[in-house]
Amino acid sequence: MIVDRSDEVARLKWPRRFPVPRNLGVAAHSRIADGKSWPAPEGAVRIATLRVYRFDPEGAAGPRLDTFRVDLDDCGPMLLDALIWIKNRIDPTLTFRRSCREGVCGSCSMTIDGTNWTACTRAMTDLAEPATVYPLANLPVIKDLVPDQSHLFAQYEMIEPWLHAETLAPERERLQSPEQRAALDGYYECILCFCCTSGCPSHWWNGDRFLGPATLLQAWRWLADSRDEARGARLDTLEDPFRLYRCHTILNCTRTCPRGLNPGRAIAEIKKMMIERQG
Amino acid sequence: MPRPRPKSPNMQNYRPQLTSVLSFGHRLSGVALSLGAFGLAGWLAAGASGPEAFGAAQALLLSTFGRAVLFLITLALFYHLCNGIRHLVWDNVRGFELREIYLGGWAVVGASLILTLAFWAWGLA
Repeated sequence: MIVDRSDEVARLKWPRRFPVPRNLGVAAHSRIADGKSWPAPEGAVRIATLRVYRFDPEGAAGPRLDTFRVDLDDCGPMLLDALIWIKNRIDPTLTFRRSCREGVCGSCSMTIDGTNWTACTRAMTDLAEPATVYPLANLPVIKDLVPDQSHLFAQYEMIEPWLHAETLAPERERLQSPEQRAALDGYYECILCFCCTSGCPSHWWNGDRFLGPATLLQAWRWLADSRDEARGARLDTLEDPFRLYRCHTILNCTRTCPRGLNPGRAIAEIKKMMIERQG
Repeated sequence: MPRPRPKSPNMQNYRPQLTSVLSFGHRLSGVALSLGAFGLAGWLAAGASGPEAFGAAQALLLSTFGRAVLFLITLALFYHLCNGIRHLVWDNVRGFELREIYLGGWAVVGASLILTLAFWAWGLA
């Protein structure tokens, strides 16, 4: 009932999804059919069932949900291990992004049991039975669990995520006090996995113009940087009914961040700075 | 020409959480209160136009259906009020730890239920 940390898995069995029709507002080519069901491997004792979203861009069919049965005694402890096990042992066409396998690269973020998380840091023992594995929510799907994040990175580019300084460069580093450096804690750690933006209902409905929690957290990371000299211009970019103010403090972002960061608080800091600028 | 990419599901697949459910509730209760304001204006207009119209309006409001609607509107009012206070706290960049978000959320649910029941107990007494 009370959640202390974002890595806590929801304990309530119900409700697993909103009471809306499966295909509410879903375009015909995005509707999900029932796919193939693979049998459990012979001799397997501990079995986990995964219902995995599949889409083959080269075929003619739309998306489908395949059912895989994983031998837990034959694979590693995390969901990413299970996906790699499936690719090696059952279906080599299963496609997903992965790199670091320790939660610092943000490649394997996906919608697991209805919430966004990185597959490499979600233990198989924390999954529902059967568990669902979808590509990151609300994005165009390139293949299987690989979504197209071009729009999200274009939004990130818009806030110009680099240091702006007009003053002449000093001979050595631009110095910060320990306190000034501490102002970036909790924000610089973002790995751009976009779990938060993909889980934000405001971004679902207005993602074309609302920047979303990941990009706004990054915007605050530069607004909070004592070395940055473009605060006014940065705030001007964000001062917009959609770019910043479509955030209605729903806080799905803070609930789902695999790094335990707080995009909700970062956005509130921006809104407060916007008010203080008006004096 | 490649065929269009499907879009991965959002609301159809994403898990309801206290965060999103209470936010949707805030929006829905706000809409309900706006509609309720029309009802209030209609009730006042009926009262201004004479005893016959006022009697009809009273009969509608005091029917089982009317009472059910009034109950839901008071629930919407107290929920919107309590959750509005939560938003005021957030506007001061306070209460953003997950534990605070969940404690505050459940407190709003409890407080709006208790206030609604207390209001009706007081009104019917």
